[in-house]
Amino acid sequence: MFTQFGATAETLSKASTMMFRIGTDAHLYDDPEDANIPPLLDSKFDSEKCEALKRLLALIAQGFDVSNFFPQVVKNVASQSLEVKKLVYLYLLHYAERRPNEALLSINYFQKDLGDPNPLVRAWALRAMAGIRLHAIAPLVLVAVGKCARDPSVYVRKCAANALPKLHDLRLEEETTAIEEIVGILLNDNSPGVVGAAAAAFSVVCPDNLPLIGRNYRRLCETLPDVEEWGQIVLTDILLRYLIARHGLVKESIMISSCATDGSQSEHDGSETNFELKENTCNKGTRDYEPGLAEMVTSSYLEGPEKYLSRSGHADRGSLGLDFSCFTSAESNHDMKILLQCTSPLLWSHNSAVVLAAAGVHWIMAPRKDVQKIVKPLLFVLRSSNASKYVVLCNIQVFAKAMPHLFAPYFEEFFVCSSDPYQMKALKLEILSSIATDSSISVIFQEFQDYVRDPDRRFAADTVAAIGLCARQLPKVANMCLEGLLALIGQESLNGDIQSVDGGAVVLVQALISVREIINLDPPSHEKVIIQLVRSLELIKVPAARAMVIWMVGEYSTIGHIIPRMLPTVLKYLAWCFTSEALESKLQILNTAVKVLIRAKGEDMWTFIRISNYILKLAKCDMNYDVRDRARALMKLLSCYVGSSDLEEDAKVLPGNNDLQPTVAVFFFRGQTKPLPESINYRFYLPGSLSQMVLHAAPGYEPLPDPCSLNHISNDAQAIKDSSSDTSGSSDEESTSNYSSQGSSSGVGEESGSVIESDDTVDPLIHVSDVSNACIDQNEGSQQSSAHSRSDDFGELMSKKALDSWLDEHPGQNLSEGSHVLRSSARISIGDISGKVKLKSHTLLDPVIGNGLSVHYTFSSEISSVSRLLVCVEVSFKNCSMEPMSKLLLLAEETSRGLDSAEQALATSESSVTSHKDMPTLVPMEEIDSLDPGQTIKRTLQVRFHHHLLSLKLVLWCNGNKYPVKLRPDIGYFVKPLPMDIKLFTSKESQLPGMFEYTRSCNFVDHIRELKDEKSERALVKDKFLVICESLALKMLSNANLFLVSVDMPVASNLDDASGLRLRFSSEIQSSSIVCLITVTVAGNCSEPLTATVKVNCEETVFGLNLLNRIVNFLAEPVPTDDDS
Amino acid sequence: MLQCIFLLSDSGEVMLEKQLTGHRVDRSICAWFWEHAISQADSFKALPVIASPTHYLFQIVREGITFLACTQVEMPPLMGIEFLCRVADVLTDYLGGLNEDLIKDNFVIVYELLDEMIDNGFPLTTEPNILREMIAPPNIVSKVLSVVTGNSSNVSNTLPGATASCVPWRTTDLKHTSNEVYVDLVEEMDAIINRDGVLVKCEIYGEVQVNSQLSGLPDLTLSFANPSILNDVRFHPCVRFRPWESHQILSFVPPDGQFKLMSYRVKNLKTTPIYVKPQLNSDSGTCRIHVLVGIRNDPGKTIDSVAVEFQLPPCVLSADLTSNHGTINILANKTCSWSIGRIPKDKAPSMSGALVLEPGLERLNVYPTFQVGFRIMGVALSGLRIDKLDLKNLPNRPYKGFRALTRAGEYEVRS
Repeated sequence: MFTQFGATAETLSKASTMMFRIGTDAHLYDDPEDANIPPLLDSKFDSEKCEALKRLLALIAQGFDVSNFFPQVVKNVASQSLEVKKLVYLYLLHYAERRPNEALLSINYFQKDLGDPNPLVRAWALRAMAGIRLHAIAPLVLVAVGKCARDPSVYVRKCAANALPKLHDLRLEEETTAIEEIVGILLNDNSPGVVGAAAAAFSVVCPDNLPLIGRNYRRLCETLPDVEEWGQIVLTDILLRYLIARHGLVKESIMISSCATDGSQSEHDGSETNFELKENTCNKGTRDYEPGLAEMVTSSYLEGPEKYLSRSGHADRGSLGLDFSCFTSAESNHDMKILLQCTSPLLWSHNSAVVLAAAGVHWIMAPRKDVQKIVKPLLFVLRSSNASKYVVLCNIQVFAKAMPHLFAPYFEEFFVCSSDPYQMKALKLEILSSIATDSSISVIFQEFQDYVRDPDRRFAADTVAAIGLCARQLPKVANMCLEGLLALIGQESLNGDIQSVDGGAVVLVQALISVREIINLDPPSHEKVIIQLVRSLELIKVPAARAMVIWMVGEYSTIGHIIPRMLPTVLKYLAWCFTSEALESKLQILNTAVKVLIRAKGEDMWTFIRISNYILKLAKCDMNYDVRDRARALMKLLSCYVGSSDLEEDAKVLPGNNDLQPTVAVFFFRGQTKPLPESINYRFYLPGSLSQMVLHAAPGYEPLPDPCSLNHISNDAQAIKDSSSDTSGSSDEESTSNYSSQGSSSGVGEESGSVIESDDTVDPLIHVSDVSNACIDQNEGSQQSSAHSRSDDFGELMSKKALDSWLDEHPGQNLSEGSHVLRSSARISIGDISGKVKLKSHTLLDPVIGNGLSVHYTFSSEISSVSRLLVCVEVSFKNCSMEPMSKLLLLAEETSRGLDSAEQALATSESSVTSHKDMPTLVPMEEIDSLDPGQTIKRTLQVRFHHHLLSLKLVLWCNGNKYPVKLRPDIGYFVKPLPMDIKLFTSKESQLPGMFEYTRSCNFVDHIRELKDEKSERALVKDKFLVICESLALKMLSNANLFLVSVDMPVASNLDDASGLRLRFSSEIQSSSIVCLITVTVAGNCSEPLTATVKVNCEETVFGLNLLNRIVNFLAEPVPTDDDS
Repeated sequence: MLQCIFLLSDSGEVMLEKQLTGHRVDRSICAWFWEHAISQADSFKALPVIASPTHYLFQIVREGITFLACTQVEMPPLMGIEFLCRVADVLTDYLGGLNEDLIKDNFVIVYELLDEMIDNGFPLTTEPNILREMIAPPNIVSKVLSVVTGNSSNVSNTLPGATASCVPWRTTDLKHTSNEVYVDLVEEMDAIINRDGVLVKCEIYGEVQVNSQLSGLPDLTLSFANPSILNDVRFHPCVRFRPWESHQILSFVPPDGQFKLMSYRVKNLKTTPIYVKPQLNSDSGTCRIHVLVGIRNDPGKTIDSVAVEFQLPPCVLSADLTSNHGTINILANKTCSWSIGRIPKDKAPSMSGALVLEPGLERLNVYPTFQVGFRIMGVALSGLRIDKLDLKNLPNRPYKGFRALTRAGEYEVRS
């Protein structure tokens, strides 16, 4: 390396970069797996932890998945070093979504950090905690955000505002009001920095809750200039939306064009196209603005271009349906004035996004005479980075189209630089051609002449097109343009050979297109041009260009005096070179011949007939079938003019056809093409929006709100709250009704599929224990008796096992107990439902993978006799193949190989806590010697999971083959039933308050199917409450090993309202014997999906949260189809 | 809101990814992007907003590094682009440049910076001064320290005081031993001269760059002798709007260190300091080229770093160019650069030579555009003059320094 120092400057710089790399993290990025990461993570020293984390970060940066280190990394959250913390957060947030349950392990640390005196630590903890995005901790985060929103540190409050959209992402319907309330608090903050972040939160969380803005409108406007630049962008948009919803559009603004231009009012009554035509022809010299376009812009902004364009078929395309009540005046309306005033300084911002946002407000709101203000700042933005330049140009293009006069004096700004990328050049050309005026066109035209010589031929072609466009818009300069174009054609056609090679022919073709368009405006006056083009036909060698000139010959064959005289010669020439032409020219020659023929008169007729005949015959023998086909068709059509003698004879035989064919021919070829009015089919989106850039509505694009849709705002906060809760409520209802329709339809489908006999065999016994309410008692009484009779009938069908199961002994107990516990609710006891408990079966090995061996497992409610760390799993082996199998055995993976490092670490850490180090993963299973085809053998396995979320890797041996399988733990079976009575339950519950209590809600739909069943089968009156209780209990017991303590029923409510129904379950965690209490409370209407609120009380935080998650998941799950069983 | 930011090297390798929201963006989007970038060449690279099948992409390219941001929902595209520009600026500032190696070597800092700069897809702290206090830039001392002790933390333990103050761009308790403030006028001249030699457009884009090393919370007032020539202005957030609106006075509390106080534009200048006259005559397959450079309007200071650059048209096969002053380089992509340096007093530098055209092509039909570069120290060509700079709230008298510089911006001569 040192020898290099003497070398050239280049190597010296290389060497110096080598020097620079010393002391950086270069080696970590280049070779992140150089060191063994796990021991470093567990190191005592912060520096080693740092190194390990940096290595992990390098792996993330390079796209490797290192999520398997998650548990070890999470442990380091507790570190005191801020750098370690920061790195852990970076890692955590990258993987939190993928490993949600392990991320929960870190929550306690975050909660601790939230109370740290250092605001930076608080802010980071909040950011990380909210960034994990887990439903389970959402309530915790919400509380934390609420606390941080009142933090003394500005930075923390800002982070609180930023956390709100993260919470919103989790779709916590029930918390919407709470979140919006915090948004309100933060919007009211004294610090402008917080207001900006709050505005961003507002636009994500509740963009429609405009009353919230109304309360602070003035203050928000006043702080706007002090808000951070990013907040300014969002806040400007919010304020604009609020104003429009509150006061409507400004009458003097360009948005309302129809009432402003007195002259164009009458024109407007006519049809749109008519108007456009007039606009095109007469009004060009002083194009003030284009009301048609401006109006289109307005409606596009208000309702989105898709809707507007779809309406376009209707006659009332232009009318917006706005009445004058939604207009306001900028002069008289103070709110309007304030916003315009406060956004004006933003036009000087050094952030181009802010400038554009402010310009958007002025564009929509400012009186027409003041819109001028936005022009210079917008043009100045063009001097910033290339990327923002392009975006601003796209927006200027729209502004310039709708109001050309705004930008007309600044045409110089749009002169093209050679360093501009192609897209920008094209945009500039388009803007130039739309803002050109009679006074500026000569300068612009001179510029265009320079552009035509640009080496980028695509750009040159675009320039030629722009020249054509200018000529059409400004008829006065049409001749000048035409001359230039003709000169260009002459010049270009000279280089024809070369250009066809490198694709430069586009310029020539485009020039001819432009010329044709100009001629089309007024063909007779351009006779000389046509002649000139025809004369240069021999020079033009590009097929597309030739075809165009040939087309002109046919099209304008009757114009003036000279062209008809030239025609025979031209046609002869065409006929002569027909065979050497390219396809498109050949087709055009055929067309032209026919056109000329049809229009021919007098003595030339015979010449034309002969030439056409010749051409048609040539064409009939052409190599290309298109040409042949067209020749045949034309011959048939023109049989009266052309053709051999036999054709003429045919014509004589069929005189009827004689008239028709020429008419058809004339119809096809005689009519001269009229210049079509250019249809305006632009799409306009709000200025500065993403949709305007990509020209389709991006997801989340919202047009402006309906003007004056927010007419009565009371400043009363209560009213606002009501309305907001109303709206959230209604949206809730919508979603639930959606659910019910789905649920019911699926229920019907299953019902027809299989009739469930077993359901009737075990009928519930009802015991209403609360005697204080006679009404209920009577109500239930009849049912009781009927239920009793039914149970008698089916008594012998009840299985023995069901009878002595754990549920059976409780009705009596409840009877004695319930009378003095609760006054307002009745206690029901459901009969034995254990027989109906259907354990969920999971697949361990798919027959496809396992060569026909299918292995399923269910978690059984049995409790292992060996150790309380073991969970019992019932595994059933089924042979689906045709051959018998032998030697089936399930083994733990570690017997063959060490555990995955991460799991190992976790395992050791956990086992050290429980001091059961020597416990094997799997109690050895009895080997199955052979399994015949179709045979099923069940074995009960006792398994020790290392963690209630990590799946266990096992090895399945069969026929000497090894299949790695994964046994997924079910947290519902890490608990065992803990029988207790309601008294004990409530007392235990009261000991586990506050942070040991977690709540979540979900929808419950199982009962709907049952209720439907009832209706369709027979009119047996089964109590709806009972059905709900039963299905809920069944669901719980089929998915977790719990003990049903009690079922409480509300009394005071009406019959259909199930709100208040409460089921209590108790259990204890197997491994640690910690009590875990579960309460399910139901709300909603019986026959509709219910909202089940699950509450878990448990000392072990993480376990409790995970259990809660699991319960909510399976409760919300629809009923499994009965085909499984 | 932005969902993800990728940093791509000039070979399309993903150097860094930073997921910003819960909706992760897969890396495959970069593969898609790069495939299109290669197949569509430059026109794609110039598109700042791209609608890919799954995401909307914002891209900026700086020094070969592509900054790519993804979103799936409506958001102001300029916000994304400006943010990426800001990231690029901050990184350049931190790493002392921007290239693949620098980013890879300092990836941890890049991650930490990105994490501070954006939260949940919305910009959080973008003010460079505050970022510097939160995350220390790598410097020689810290590097040596990390080599020696094997331990270095660049994460600050405390929250910068500025986040709490009402001037979020400045820390409240700054102390400098020598109080000094430097004001630079840096101007760029944009000009277009068409093929007839007519000055089509000539304007100045200028920046007022301030380097402030002042203690405490100073209040500065800067006024110009002739503010009326300013066509348009843009300000740093620290500038108060009212005084400017009423008296065209810049009143501000400066951030610490180097920053861009204001940028302005002066339009419709009538003359340029130098002239470049290209002549091209083509006949029978070759093209004679002759370019003459000289001083048109002596600004009173030396003009140096004069350079002329142009792209040979694609139809040119070979070029043989000589000059009487300076050196000529023709690069592989047919870019031809003639660096002159200072224009000598006694003669006008000229370049001449012959271009051989493609066979079959008699004459040149497309013409190159010449980009001109120059630099003049000590002069602001727009004529803008600083009148005075007042400082309030300062314990002792500071040193004030003023400089000016003009260089060529987009200065084009067409032929």
